[in-house]
Amino acid sequence: MNSPSFNAWKLVSLSPLPPWALVLLALGLVLGVALAAWGVRREPSRGRRVLLWALRVGAGVAALFFLLEPGIRHLQVARMKNRVAVLVDRSASMSFPTEVGGRSRSEEVAAFLERAAPRLAELQDRFTVELYGFDPELAPATPETLMTPARAGTTDLLAAVRSAAGAGQGSRKLSGVLLFSDGADNTELKAGVVGRARAALADLNVPVSTFTVGQETLKDVAVEGLKVDDFAFVRNSLTVEVEIHGRGFTGQDIPVVLSQEGKTVASKVVRMESADDVRPVAFTFTPDQTGRFVYTVTVPTFPGEAVADNNTRSFTLKVIRDRVRVLLVVGRPSWDERYLRGLLRQDANVDLVSFYILRTLSDDPGVVNDQRELSLIPFPMEEIFDTKLDTFDVVIFQNFGHADPSLSIAEYERNLERYVHNGGAFVMIGGDSVLGEGRATMPTLMEALPVVAAGPANLDAFKPRLTPEGLRHPVTGIGMGAASTEAAWAELPPIPGANLTQARPGATVLLDHPHLTVGGKNAPLVAVWDYGRGRSLVMATDASWYWAFAAHKHGSPSRAYDRFWGNALRWLVRDPDLTTLKVTADPPSVEPGRPVGVVVQARMADYQPAQDAQVRVELFSVATQKPVAVQTGTTGTDGVVRLEFEPPAPGPYKLLASAKKGETDLGKGEDAVAVRAVGPELSDASVRPELMAQIAKETGGKSYTLPQDSLPDVPLLDPPVVEVGRARDQPLWDRWYYLVALIALLGAEWFARRRFGYV
Amino acid sequence: MSARRLTRRNLLLGTAALAPLLARRAHAFGEKNRFIPAVARHKGRWDTRLSGLRRIAWELQRRTSVEVVPDARPFPLSSPDLFEYPFLYFGGEGEFPPLEEAEVANLRRYLTYGGFMLADANDASDGAGFDASFRREMARVLPQSPLAEVPSKHVVFKSFFLLDAAPGRVLNKPQLMGCNLGKRAAVLYSQNDLAGAWSRNESGDYEFDVSPGGEPQRELAVRLGINVCMYALCLDYKDDAVHLPLILNKRR
Repeated sequence: MNSPSFNAWKLVSLSPLPPWALVLLALGLVLGVALAAWGVRREPSRGRRVLLWALRVGAGVAALFFLLEPGIRHLQVARMKNRVAVLVDRSASMSFPTEVGGRSRSEEVAAFLERAAPRLAELQDRFTVELYGFDPELAPATPETLMTPARAGTTDLLAAVRSAAGAGQGSRKLSGVLLFSDGADNTELKAGVVGRARAALADLNVPVSTFTVGQETLKDVAVEGLKVDDFAFVRNSLTVEVEIHGRGFTGQDIPVVLSQEGKTVASKVVRMESADDVRPVAFTFTPDQTGRFVYTVTVPTFPGEAVADNNTRSFTLKVIRDRVRVLLVVGRPSWDERYLRGLLRQDANVDLVSFYILRTLSDDPGVVNDQRELSLIPFPMEEIFDTKLDTFDVVIFQNFGHADPSLSIAEYERNLERYVHNGGAFVMIGGDSVLGEGRATMPTLMEALPVVAAGPANLDAFKPRLTPEGLRHPVTGIGMGAASTEAAWAELPPIPGANLTQARPGATVLLDHPHLTVGGKNAPLVAVWDYGRGRSLVMATDASWYWAFAAHKHGSPSRAYDRFWGNALRWLVRDPDLTTLKVTADPPSVEPGRPVGVVVQARMADYQPAQDAQVRVELFSVATQKPVAVQTGTTGTDGVVRLEFEPPAPGPYKLLASAKKGETDLGKGEDAVAVRAVGPELSDASVRPELMAQIAKETGGKSYTLPQDSLPDVPLLDPPVVEVGRARDQPLWDRWYYLVALIALLGAEWFARRRFGYV
Repeated sequence: MSARRLTRRNLLLGTAALAPLLARRAHAFGEKNRFIPAVARHKGRWDTRLSGLRRIAWELQRRTSVEVVPDARPFPLSSPDLFEYPFLYFGGEGEFPPLEEAEVANLRRYLTYGGFMLADANDASDGAGFDASFRREMARVLPQSPLAEVPSKHVVFKSFFLLDAAPGRVLNKPQLMGCNLGKRAAVLYSQNDLAGAWSRNESGDYEFDVSPGGEPQRELAVRLGINVCMYALCLDYKDDAVHLPLILNKRR
C-alpha cells in the first residue's frame, strides 16, 4: 500500500493505551518472567530449567508485542538546499590596479568568477549560490556589474558577512561564504580580528573562505592617521599629528609640509626605514587669528606611485578666542560692582583683571604707615591704559571718573578711544561719577560711546522698557524668543535711578526709560554701537545689580542678570554666533565627489531674521586664488538659506557670502571648507592578506589568494534540514500468526511444566 | 562695659566728624545703591548695637571711597525688602526663640542669591546665650554649610587693612567663624561683640570699654569691621592674581 510519494519510513507504536498503562503492563510481564525463573530455581536439570525460562521469556516478548502494537509509519520528506553567499568587495580601493598598469582588483575578481562558473554550477545541486557586492550594504551582483568601477567610501567586511548570514534567517540557512576583497577594512576589522570582532565572527558558525585580491608590492606614499582637534584657541599652540605611510621607499627622505590656505606653516622631513613603514610626524604651531581655516598636509608625488590622490590631506580648524580677557576698573566699591564681579569671576570663559579705587585722597584711613597697615595697591595707569591695553578684549569702567590728578585718566583717554576704534570693546557703567555726574567729563573717551550726557541723573525708581531693537538684539535677548525675552524683562524689579543721557545718531538703544525723555526721545538705559572696528556699550545706571539680587525677593530664581551680561560680553567680542551674517560650511570637510553645502543665516541690524534677503555665496579656491563658482538664494522666514555647489576639485576653499535685503546691505561673512582628495578608502592602497587569513581561520574557512585557476574545494556545511510532508501508518501486529505464536508458546510452557511435574 | 562720659569736647568732635558725611550725601546718586546695613529683627534683643552700625558705616565713609547711608534698616527676616540690602547684621544679647519657617527660608534664599550676613554675639557668649541660639538657627538655614573657623589667610583679613586677628569689644575667640557658599563666605560670625567696640552714644562717647587691649583693640575692631564691609562689597578682589604678590610682600 505504499504510495510512490512516500520516500522514508520509521517504526512506531500504534497502541491506543496511554504510556502509563503500557508501563504497568510491561512491569507485569517482567514480573511474570521473573516468577517463572524463581519457580524453577530448584529444578536439578539445567536443560529443563532453561527450557521453562526461555518459553516464559518468549511468551512475555510476544505479549509485549501485542501490547505495543508496532507499526510502520511511511513518510514523505524533502531535503532543502542551503545557501552559499559569494561576497565581493565594492569599495573604492578595489579600483586600484593589481599591478602597475594591470587590471583593477574588481576586474580580477570578475575574471576569476567567470573561470569558477562551472564549479559554482556544480554546487547548485546542493546549494543555492548567491552573488552579492557589498559597499558596505549587500546588493545582488552579476559578473558584469562587478566589472564596473567600485566607489564605496568604506570597507566593512564583518558587516557584509553578518548581512549575508542574516539574510538566511528562515528556512534557508547559510552553508558557507566566499569572500573576495583586498582586506583593506577601515571599520570594525581595521585593527584585525580581535576582541568583539573576533567573537562576532565565531558566532556566525559559518565557514568564511577568503580570496585576497591585489598585490602588496605597490609603491605608494600616503598621508594617514590625521589627529587634530576640531577647534583651537587663538595665540595658543596646538599640535597636528599625521602618519606618513610609505611603501617601497626604503631609506628615502620624504618632505612633509603643513600649510594654511597656501601659506606654509611648518615642514619636516621623515625617513622611511623599511619597505612598508609608517612614520609619525607632529607639527606644533600657534594660530594668530580667529575664524575657520583649511590646513593641508602634503607630501610630494613620486614617479610610479600607485595612488597620487592620497599624498595630501586637508582639514578645517576653527580657531576660537581663548578666555575673554576683561579689565574691570571700578571708581568705588558698590553693590553694582559686587554683583558684576561675582558674575565675571564665576564665568570660566572670563579672565578678569580688576582695579578698584578703594580710597581717594580725601579719605583718611587713620593709619600711621600706609604700606604696613593697608593692603592697598598702586593703580598702575600707565601699564593698563598704555602698554597692556591691547591685551584686553573688553574694558569696563564702572562708575569710574575721577578729576583728582592722581586718579584721572585724562592722559590716557585718547589711548582708550583708539583702542575701541581699532577693534577693542568698551563698557561704561553709570553712577554718580560719570555720564554727566561728578566732575570728570572724559570728553575724548565719550566720543567712543553711543550716548552723551544730557543732564542731572533721575533718581526715581523705574522699570526699564525694552525697545523693539532690544527685543531682537543678542545683548538683551535673555529669553528663548521675543515673547520669552519680553516676559523676562517685565519680571525684573524696578531700578532706583539712572543717569540722564541721549543716544548719538547711529546708536542702538536696547533699553530705555519709560517716561523720561531727552530731545523728544526716551532716555536710553542700555545703548550699543559699533565705533570704528570696535564696539561699545553704555549702561546708564549703577543699579543693574537689582536684576541680580533684588530679582529674587519673591522667591523665584532669575538668571536675567547673568544672561544679560553674558550676552553683552559675547556681542562685544564679536562672538561669531552673534554676527548679522553667519556663514557655516555644511559640512566643513567634504568627501571627494560630494557637493559643498553652505548655510547662511541673515539678520537685520536689529537682529531680527532677514526674510527674503538675497544671499550670494562665492566658492573661492585658496589654491588658485580664484573664484570657482557662485550660488545665490533667498532666505526663508527664519532668515536662513542653504546653498549647494557642484563637487569641486579637491583642495581648500573659502565660502565668501554677502547679503542684501532691498537696498540694505546685511554685511559679509565667510567660512572655510576642505574638499578632501581621497576618502579613507583611497588613502591606503595596501592589501591585507593576513586579515583575510584571520577571518578564514576564525570561522573554519580557508584562505586563498587570487589569481586561481578554478574554485578550490572550500569548506561548506551540509544542509541538515529535512522537511516532513504527509505520513501513513501500517500496523504490523494484527496478523493471525502472531497470535498463534503467542498461544503456542504459552501452551508449550504449560505442557512442559505438566510434563516435568510443576502443575 | 561702662559708658563713656559725655563731654563738650567729644560732642564737638563727633559733630565735626559727621560734617563731611553730610556734605557728600548732598550729591548722592540713588541712595539705595549705597552701603546701607540692614539689621535682622528677630524675637530676641536684636537692637542693642544700632549705634555701632551707624559708627562703622561712618568709619567706612571716612576711611574708604565707599559711599554709605549710616542709618541701619531693621527688617524681619521674612521680609522680601531684605533683598534691597545685601549687607545684613544679625546681632543679639542672650538667647532668642527659634526663627519661623518663613524666616529661615527667606534668609536661606537671601544668602544663596548673594546676600551677606555679619553675625555678632553682643553678649560675647560661647555655647550659651546668643551663641547657642544662633548656631541652632544657622544649622537650619544652611544645613549644608556648617559654621567653620575662618582661616587667617582669608581675604577678609586683607580686604582693606592688613589684619591678623578678629577682636571686638572682648577677645574671647581670636578668629571669626564663617559659612561658605561655594568660594564665598556668605556668613561671618564674631563671638567678640564686634559692634560693641564700635558703639557710641548720642554724645559721641564710646558706649563700652574694650578689653583686654583697650583703645588699640577698639581700633583693630573698627578696622575689622571695615574689612568685613569691604569683603561684602568686593568679595575676593584682594586675592586676584595681579594683586596678591604685592600684598604678600607687604605682610613680610
